[in-house]
Amino acid sequence: MKLLKPSWVSHNGKPIFSVDIHPDGTKFATGGQGEDSGKVMIWNMAPVLREEDEKNENIPKMLCQMDNHLACVNCVRWSNNGLYLASGGDDKLVMVWKRAAFIGPSTVFGSSSKLANVEQWRCVTILRNHTGDVMDVAWSPHDVWLASCSVDNTIVIWNARKFPEMVMCLRGHTGLVKGLTWDPVGKYIASQADDHSLRVWRTVDWQMEANITKPFSECGGTTHVLRLSWSPDGQYLVSAHAMNNSGPTAQIVERDGWKTNMDFVGHRKAVTVVKFNPKIFKKKQKNGSAPKPGCPYCCCAVGSKDRSLSVWLTSLKRPLVVIHDLFDKSIMDISWTLTGLGMLVCSMDGTVAYLDFSLDELGDPLNEEEKNSIHQNIYGKSLAITSTEAQLSTTIIENPEMLKYQQERQNTAQANFGPSSAGPESSTPKLNSVMNGESLEDIRKNLLKKQVETRTADGRRRITPLCIAQLDTGDFSPALFNSAPILPSGSSMSNQLTSQLSSDSSPGQASSLGLRPSHDPMLTSPPANSAVKGLEDNKDGVKSSLLLTSASKIEPMKALDSRFTERSKATQGVTAVISSISGLTPLDRPKDGLSALIDLMNKDDTSSDSEDKMANINKNLSFSKRKPELLLDGAEVVEKRKKGRPRKDKMAAPSTFTQITPAEREPSRVAAPPAPPAALKLPTPSIKKAFSLQVSMEPSMFLEVENEVSVVAGSKLSQLRCSRDGRDWNTLLPSSVVTAAGSSDVLAVACQDRMLSVFSSCGRRLLPAIQLATPVSALHCSAHFVMALTAGATLSVWDVQKQKALVKNESLLTILSGADTTVSQSLLTQQGVPVIGLSNGKSYCFSSSLETWTLIADKGDSLVQCADFRSCLPTHDAPVSSGPLAVMQGRNLNAGRLASRLSSTPHHLQQSMTLAFLENQLASALTLQSAQEYRYWLLIYARFLVNEGSEYRLRELCKELLGPVHKSAATAWEPTTLGLRKRELLREVLPVIVENLRFQRLFTEYQDQLELLRNK
Amino acid sequence: MAKVQVLNVAVLDNPSPFGNPFQFEITFECMEDLPEDLEWKIIYVGSAESEEYDQVLDSVLVGPVPAGRHMFVFQADAPNTGLIPESDAVGVTVVLITCTYRGQEFIRIGYYVNNEYTEPELRENPPIKPNYTQLQRNILASNPRVTRFHINWEGCAERMEDCENVDPTSNSMLPPSCLPGKAPPLGILPDNSMDCL
Repeated sequence: MKLLKPSWVSHNGKPIFSVDIHPDGTKFATGGQGEDSGKVMIWNMAPVLREEDEKNENIPKMLCQMDNHLACVNCVRWSNNGLYLASGGDDKLVMVWKRAAFIGPSTVFGSSSKLANVEQWRCVTILRNHTGDVMDVAWSPHDVWLASCSVDNTIVIWNARKFPEMVMCLRGHTGLVKGLTWDPVGKYIASQADDHSLRVWRTVDWQMEANITKPFSECGGTTHVLRLSWSPDGQYLVSAHAMNNSGPTAQIVERDGWKTNMDFVGHRKAVTVVKFNPKIFKKKQKNGSAPKPGCPYCCCAVGSKDRSLSVWLTSLKRPLVVIHDLFDKSIMDISWTLTGLGMLVCSMDGTVAYLDFSLDELGDPLNEEEKNSIHQNIYGKSLAITSTEAQLSTTIIENPEMLKYQQERQNTAQANFGPSSAGPESSTPKLNSVMNGESLEDIRKNLLKKQVETRTADGRRRITPLCIAQLDTGDFSPALFNSAPILPSGSSMSNQLTSQLSSDSSPGQASSLGLRPSHDPMLTSPPANSAVKGLEDNKDGVKSSLLLTSASKIEPMKALDSRFTERSKATQGVTAVISSISGLTPLDRPKDGLSALIDLMNKDDTSSDSEDKMANINKNLSFSKRKPELLLDGAEVVEKRKKGRPRKDKMAAPSTFTQITPAEREPSRVAAPPAPPAALKLPTPSIKKAFSLQVSMEPSMFLEVENEVSVVAGSKLSQLRCSRDGRDWNTLLPSSVVTAAGSSDVLAVACQDRMLSVFSSCGRRLLPAIQLATPVSALHCSAHFVMALTAGATLSVWDVQKQKALVKNESLLTILSGADTTVSQSLLTQQGVPVIGLSNGKSYCFSSSLETWTLIADKGDSLVQCADFRSCLPTHDAPVSSGPLAVMQGRNLNAGRLASRLSSTPHHLQQSMTLAFLENQLASALTLQSAQEYRYWLLIYARFLVNEGSEYRLRELCKELLGPVHKSAATAWEPTTLGLRKRELLREVLPVIVENLRFQRLFTEYQDQLELLRNK
Repeated sequence: MAKVQVLNVAVLDNPSPFGNPFQFEITFECMEDLPEDLEWKIIYVGSAESEEYDQVLDSVLVGPVPAGRHMFVFQADAPNTGLIPESDAVGVTVVLITCTYRGQEFIRIGYYVNNEYTEPELRENPPIKPNYTQLQRNILASNPRVTRFHINWEGCAERMEDCENVDPTSNSMLPPSCLPGKAPPLGILPDNSMDCL
């Protein structure tokens, strides 16, 4: 182990509260106290790591410093992707920084150090919600969320993909929350507070999972921070300050049951910070010795108020190393390099120490692959699946095709990230120079002459500044992080007015201030010698004159000094007057209520009944406002009227099923009257004198039925009239029409005499009248299929084109098993598959090939409730909402997703449930012969298999889709399913497989075979 | 956090005769589009003894200010010699550049100014009544003192939550005739000042 204290890492002696090494290991950030403000500094890592770089004056040590925090910075943390830095401080703010590619290095204007900022880091967003000092911030795995905790007893979860959106505020702690850590698997976040508790929160529903208090009952709130840490394998959580037998410890909390049986003992004072090494290690193989299967272990660093640091391996009972007296004051933060071999420690004494370990000391770090497999073994979920970037660095891409897919994916991801950023090259914000070939020097020479100066209405000078560079705000548009709407200049005027009014109306305040004893400037000014020193620093300046001056001459200098830092009353007074003038003059223009208001103000500025005045003004203001409001209302009414569309429009939604036509809704409506005759299980529609229905939109087809039109020779005739694209045809039927249905190809009518007639769209009778056993309950037509559901609970489907029965008087008794179940919905798909929805939430379709009823949807299915495949939903494809499967399952799917968030099912169980659900969906879509839905669910299924790493299923799926490469007579493989070419489907599945590099062999295998087949 | 950061102030035409106008080239950066103008002021401290002798040399509005880096030259006439106490004309004093947004001062840049005669003879025996034509003004450009104040960028001073940032002396009843202000100096400590000496 090597130990180094780089003395140049300092905040001018002020405490350093936090340190964090950038994920790429090239730089690190420190946060702490600056001169009268908070300070964040970014340092170059190279001079820490290598002595020659430290000596090389061309290598910068400090890269950037940011004084933007108004008070001490308690925590700095890099995002996992290294793009952002988050800092939290005593000013209650969390700032998120991003590197900006600026023109060049710049100094902080007016700062004493002449060091230039080599890198420019710009605050891209400020997160305001905390009402007290922010003590710790933490990025979740994959940078989905950013969490911050505060002395206001809360933890706030921010949406890191959409700052400054707040996801949740976790309440529950009753004391200052001083530390945060995310579960490496992303399921939990843990916090430690001064209320003698450590709490674990679920990320699924943001509820508290565990509240651990026992080890902390003896603790006093003596530490500034309580930075706890979660082990990289996720199995252990180690707290900061805990007590065991009145000795300070770091409590080990087991993930399994949150048991607290072990702790790290030995520090003499409270533990302030615990930090796990990001790597998991295994024992170093010694040369010659037989390889031992030794258990992987973790490494943990513990820092304490007793100024000492200890490093532990979970495989050893005693610490690996303890370093005493490394600092003069308490250790505040620890950060490991991503390689796991380096560590930075910072202290309240304002110094930083770097520790360098060797592989011999810590062991062999597991690579990402091995770490992922550990995660997968424990949690069934690999972390690396979604983080392709991290994985890309460790896995070799073996196939150019694969690389192409990967790059395409990254590009689209970047394009999606921000609509304003126009490609991958704009991922870093740029400062676009707007100077057209003119150098900055040229511009500066003529700036005074060139700059645009105008006079405002009240005669004041107004300079339009020369924009020398525009800020490319990148993915955070200003409107996004500025919660307050930017007011147009007109309305901001009224703002100014109201502010002015309130200051006007408080003469009491002003007079009380006048009575205040005037402070002697001497009291607040720095000692005289500081002024002298400051001037002496400057050799060629006023030094000579100062040396000549007597002590009495120095006296005013003290007074002058104070002037630098104080906002003087005189200037403020001036400001107020000027702003009041500028605020009022433009208001003269409107002639209504507002001019009265100005009169009012001009008249009695000294009036004491200010409230009265305010009320008057308010009245005036509201009066003048009213008119436009009324106008707006009127406009809105007009809008609404316009929106009321004719009926025809409403029906314009293109439908692939006949199910939504009004006539077909009737059966279900009629189903409401109870107690159908015992013999007739299903209700029948009543006979009406006349009715009409729209059969299809494209071509537009209407059907009109008029019963008992005329009586010829004692028999009543009914008329069926159809208009199709403006052309009418009609036909007569000998019995009253009970119900009718139609598609663009066929029309079917069922009559009172249980006769079913089928016509073509032009009015030709296609089939002789079909005699049904019982009256018709529901009738559907779709494409060239006709479906009749009779009152006797039998189902028939005919293929009119082939003049064949697909389903022959099939009884519904099988599915209508329960006493109260009735048919609530029925439909016929375009492929002629009949679907029956029951009142108990189940939906069946009759598979003519299997000649059996098959369950396709069950709203009460627990699998639906728990299946969670949100992460597998395609991003660009709109979900299929119009397929028969979706129609039958309805909104239940969304409810299921919601339910899965609320219930805390273990991951492996949920995984199995989701898998089962997705397979059900696939099978249902197949039975329903719904090609689009089949394709949709197949891709989700494939993505789920890829994400969860189910290789066997994935392989079988690919095999099925590919089929045999060499045709032989014996193969029964069908090249298409539901009219979709299976190999085309495989081509769609392959890019999904690419998303997990683990499957790149599988990808290559099938990619090659597909290529082979294509060339054949 | 301040939406406007002053990146640099270059003192132009320095040193120069006392009667020359002040010229400051100010570079600042703005985080986001500002709906209102910035107001810049140059204040010449006539006497260290009292703010009574402060002179606002000029005040300009600067705008519109979109997000980005901007530059302008602020020129203001030399102080009115009639308002400077004769005893304070020669020697060290201060010139202040302040910037306010929505009536709230958020930055104050101060420079020491040394006024002295160029003629050795006058330097040895300065006249009782200052000879301003012979005085040379030297601004200590290399050593600006910058103080930043925390203000509410979203709204006006009156709406700010923490009243310590609100200047209690803002008083619009002050007639414009009392420019420059005659108010006694108040010892208000800035909530955030960055003293760089």
